[in-house]
Amino acid sequence: MNGESSPSDLDLDLQFGPPGYARVALRGWLTAQTTVNCWDRLQQDLRDRKLEKLEVDASGLQICGEAGLALLRYLNMGRLTPGASVSVTGLEAGLEQSFREFTREDYEAFRPPTRAKCHPVPEEVGGVVRQAAWDLRQQIDFLGSVTRSLLPTLLKRKRMRWTEVRSVFETAGANAVPIVSLVSILVGMIIAFEAAQPLAQFGAQIFIANMIGLVMVRELGPLLAAVLLAGRSGSAFAAEIGTMKVNEELDALQTLGLDPIRFLAIQRITAAILLTPLLTFYASFVGIVGGVLVALGLGLPLSLIFHQLASALNLSDVFFGTAKGVVFGAIVAAVGCCRGLQTQEGPSAVGVSTTRAVVTSIVLIVIADAIFSILYFVLKR
Amino acid sequence: MSDTDEIVITVRNLKVGYGETVILQNINFKVREGEVFVILGGSGSGKSTLLKNIIGLYTPLEGEVWIEGGNLVAAMDDERRRLLKTFGVAYQNGALFGSMSVLENVRLPLDELSTLPEPLKELVALAKLKLVGLAAAAQKLPSELSGGMQKRAAIARAMALDPRILFLDEPSAGLDPVTSADLDLLIKELASRFGITFVIVTHELSSIYEIADRVIMLDTQARTIIAEGQPADLRDHSADPGVRRFFNRQPDAVASGLHL
Repeated sequence: MNGESSPSDLDLDLQFGPPGYARVALRGWLTAQTTVNCWDRLQQDLRDRKLEKLEVDASGLQICGEAGLALLRYLNMGRLTPGASVSVTGLEAGLEQSFREFTREDYEAFRPPTRAKCHPVPEEVGGVVRQAAWDLRQQIDFLGSVTRSLLPTLLKRKRMRWTEVRSVFETAGANAVPIVSLVSILVGMIIAFEAAQPLAQFGAQIFIANMIGLVMVRELGPLLAAVLLAGRSGSAFAAEIGTMKVNEELDALQTLGLDPIRFLAIQRITAAILLTPLLTFYASFVGIVGGVLVALGLGLPLSLIFHQLASALNLSDVFFGTAKGVVFGAIVAAVGCCRGLQTQEGPSAVGVSTTRAVVTSIVLIVIADAIFSILYFVLKR
Repeated sequence: MSDTDEIVITVRNLKVGYGETVILQNINFKVREGEVFVILGGSGSGKSTLLKNIIGLYTPLEGEVWIEGGNLVAAMDDERRRLLKTFGVAYQNGALFGSMSVLENVRLPLDELSTLPEPLKELVALAKLKLVGLAAAAQKLPSELSGGMQKRAAIARAMALDPRILFLDEPSAGLDPVTSADLDLLIKELASRFGITFVIVTHELSSIYEIADRVIMLDTQARTIIAEGQPADLRDHSADPGVRRFFNRQPDAVASGLHL
């Protein structure tokens, strides 16, 4: 190796002889860095020339990395000088071996990926419907299994694994209190602010209290608690169980003769059914506090606010909100566990299950809420 | 391998662990250019943790790691980036990006870290894949490859930027003996033909005898290196019975609780 050379040294000598002939002599270090400069120079000087023969003399190369070899191969394949016959000579024996190992055939055998075939619309629709039917069947199967396992598991203290229920209760319930508090108080305040101006036009600002009370207890309290539960815990259930499936832990349970639904899902569903009404009640209360704070800020007296709240709300509203919490909690936990158990193979499988758990939970919560609203309307009539 | 060979890695007084917990201490060794250097030890002896400290994924509690003339532990910003480019790492399970084809995986370092023109990037990536025997699988997704192929693809990706040093974490883990032997052949060929220095974490004895020029052995109890040398020498002449037992695959009846 020449001690005076450095990685930035490459001498490129390009000579044009008789018409259609060119000779490139390379001396020094053909590293990744110098290859780029060399490529630019050759592109510029050879681009518009019609060559019949190109000779590349690499005998002066002291160092040639994979990038340099790639350049020599590219030249040798005639890609830079279409139509010309190209010869690369003078490579040191080891480099020559590496150079010859990757041939034009290797390069041409490689084909860029063909675009995915576009399926006809009926086929696409059929696929989607089939998938939806399969999904529905899976959910019904899951619901059936949960229903079948729930009572026997609840009745047998050992099979229930109450420590697991307590753990879920803590992570999904107690740990959710700060975020539920923040979201609920802000929503309560937002509603009070938004309602204040239109109601003031009719001199009815005091009805902010009625509105906040009804909206939070009957609608937004249960919805906020359920949506936050879906985002925090439904997704976590799907991810936990999905990861267990990927790690073959569910297979291990089954070969031990244990039913994954009884062992994993029942505890989570029970915990969610118990904790969601509490979370709902808490979300409603904090939301009302937020609204009351705004009402106080607008100058309404506290005693009047309480009086309006008491007159607007009755026990059936609280009961109805809590009942919603029970149903929403069951939906979130059941969907989370079901999606986790449905996890397929592959690196993105757990992520897909988590997303599906949250989306399905929210859709089902809204559908259940609509059914509750109709039910309430019919019962109150 | 002689003493005059260039030293490419120097690990000096390294102490590794998590928080207050010390896993290994007083780790000192040098790796020469072109050598296949194996870090071995029983399960839980801290082999992979040591590797992650050497390649800069974890910060050691104390000590220095000199690679290609720079101390990776103390290096910051540009110097750290320069040092990270001087070596490649292939992880135990390949760690190929599942959403990319094998070719895209190998091209990734070239796309992100080199200024080569597009056609040359593709040629370099394809040549690396050919070198590890995976040219035909260039368009496949990692999930479509067998375990051995995934490890080969990981080696191809680690070599994309022509590093002089390759770190391999448990290359033979989970492979059948034939695939494992094929991988050993590949490592030997890369070391002898291209002068690549290998630092390999493994406890596969058959591979160690086949590929290792020199090994260091870690011990869980001693929390440091308990043996250094050539595998056959350690097997036959080590003064430490634990080392001889390891190299001769003899069970530790006391530790296992069996009354043999």
